[in-house]
Amino acid sequence: MSDSPIQPYIRYENSQVKYSDLVQGLRGVSLDIARGEFLFFIGSTGAGKSTLLKLLTREVRESAGEVTLDGVNLSRMSDREIPLLRRRMGIVPQDFALLPRKRVWENVAYAMRAVGATRRQVRRRVPDILEMVNIGHRADAFPHQLSGGEQQRVAIARALINDPPLLLADEPTGNLDPQHSWEIMEILLRLNAHGATVLVASHDLVVVERTAKRVVTLDQGQIKSDIPPWIPTETPTDIASTNGDTDEPTPGSSDV
Amino acid sequence: MFDWLEFMLTEAIVALRRNPLMTFAAITTTAVSLFLIGGLGYVYLTIDNYAKTIPSKFEMRVFLKDSYRGEAAVNPIAGKLRAVPDVAKVTWIPRDKYWALIKEQDPDLTAGIEDPYPESFKLQVKDLAQSDAVAAAIRNMPEVEPEGGVSYLKDEQTFIERALFFIRWLGGVFGGLLFLTGGILIYNAIRLTVLSRRIEIRIMRLVGASPVTIRVPFLIEGVVQGTLGGVLAATAVLGANNFVCGFLRVIAPQTVFPIFPLEQTMLLLSGIGAIYGLLCSMIAVRTPLRGQ
Repeated sequence: MSDSPIQPYIRYENSQVKYSDLVQGLRGVSLDIARGEFLFFIGSTGAGKSTLLKLLTREVRESAGEVTLDGVNLSRMSDREIPLLRRRMGIVPQDFALLPRKRVWENVAYAMRAVGATRRQVRRRVPDILEMVNIGHRADAFPHQLSGGEQQRVAIARALINDPPLLLADEPTGNLDPQHSWEIMEILLRLNAHGATVLVASHDLVVVERTAKRVVTLDQGQIKSDIPPWIPTETPTDIASTNGDTDEPTPGSSDV
Repeated sequence: MFDWLEFMLTEAIVALRRNPLMTFAAITTTAVSLFLIGGLGYVYLTIDNYAKTIPSKFEMRVFLKDSYRGEAAVNPIAGKLRAVPDVAKVTWIPRDKYWALIKEQDPDLTAGIEDPYPESFKLQVKDLAQSDAVAAAIRNMPEVEPEGGVSYLKDEQTFIERALFFIRWLGGVFGGLLFLTGGILIYNAIRLTVLSRRIEIRIMRLVGASPVTIRVPFLIEGVVQGTLGGVLAATAVLGANNFVCGFLRVIAPQTVFPIFPLEQTMLLLSGIGAIYGLLCSMIAVRTPLRGQ
């Protein structure tokens, strides 16, 4: 949490989310994220990673506290404003959410048409978007003909249709092998390098360590640690074998 | 705008094709219910109009006591008859003229017989349903023969009344129930479509599609189902109208029936179907598409 006088791009202020009397998603999270930052939320299942992302997309509303995005208090946002908010961010869901009967390019085109793009705009933009995530060569394939990594790239491509300055990815490498996981991470890093703020909820500690970006660890709805970016080691350690449910990540303890 | 509309229509067509059997069930049930309500309503009006145009068929005869003979005695009674509620027309039938007519028609049977008829009147009522009341009121008049003083085609009149009541009942109760069932089927068809298109809905929400864009295809689906049901119902009404008119032509050949207003009926029933389909689909998407 920074005390910078500059307004952060995203600010969680004592955000609490109560799903029911027994289930609490967040227990007072305060966090500032700067524009253009790349940040991982890690932690065990139910720690609150996805809830933090969903507070930004307004799929979830806080029970207490506030969330601010680019100076706009999302807590005061009405339902009517949510679609416009989501056009300012790209959302990559964990399960890809691809349309099985549509080809790769149609999946992206469908999303574009849904937000009002004309056929001409779709024809012009879709090839470029697919190239951005290195899936242009599979444009005519159906989702079931793609590998997990390729499907994830299509999901990322779809998230880019609005040229979002903010990209939210929920377990983008959750179902992928290490090689494909790193390919996805490279795409996200490249988008970040082009100026997008990227927030990733992840279990994949190998990728987290190799990426060497800021890591916020959550445990039972609270921030346990907030480790700034560091200089990565040459090769990822075998930490993945400890699986993603580790409470305390080790990246911060790597060579800095 | 054109692109948006095209996208909406494409989505609606995809939705309609997603559950063809449920769509078929919804359309046909709406058609049957609209036919029973709207169609039988039309048939009811046709029969009702027919009944109104043929009161002379159900004319009433009133026979006076023998003590009332001649124009001077009959005129005040005619005035009293005209004053009875729902009596449309009163015509005096002089006994001598009537007897002369009978003798002319059947000279052999009437030969050597003295005129047995009393003075009588021919009455037409304004409303067939009031015939019994009119007859009862006239029977109570002291000038009228107490036994058989009033005669009219009670059975035929009762048949028409019952036919109208049956059609009204059938159209109202049975049609109403089917109309409700049709609505529930449209509702279910839309709910199933929402379920089968949950990925599309999720994608639309993720990328920031407006609620209108998400909902409109489902509403179009409901409108299409209702409209097609209305068109089918109008066609069925045309068939029913032809059947009823054919039947009435047999029992009343001189009756002239108006040409069936196919276009208006089709417009009316498909309009009702469209509005009904829209309402059902609006209710159907309210809960599953609530929230963001």
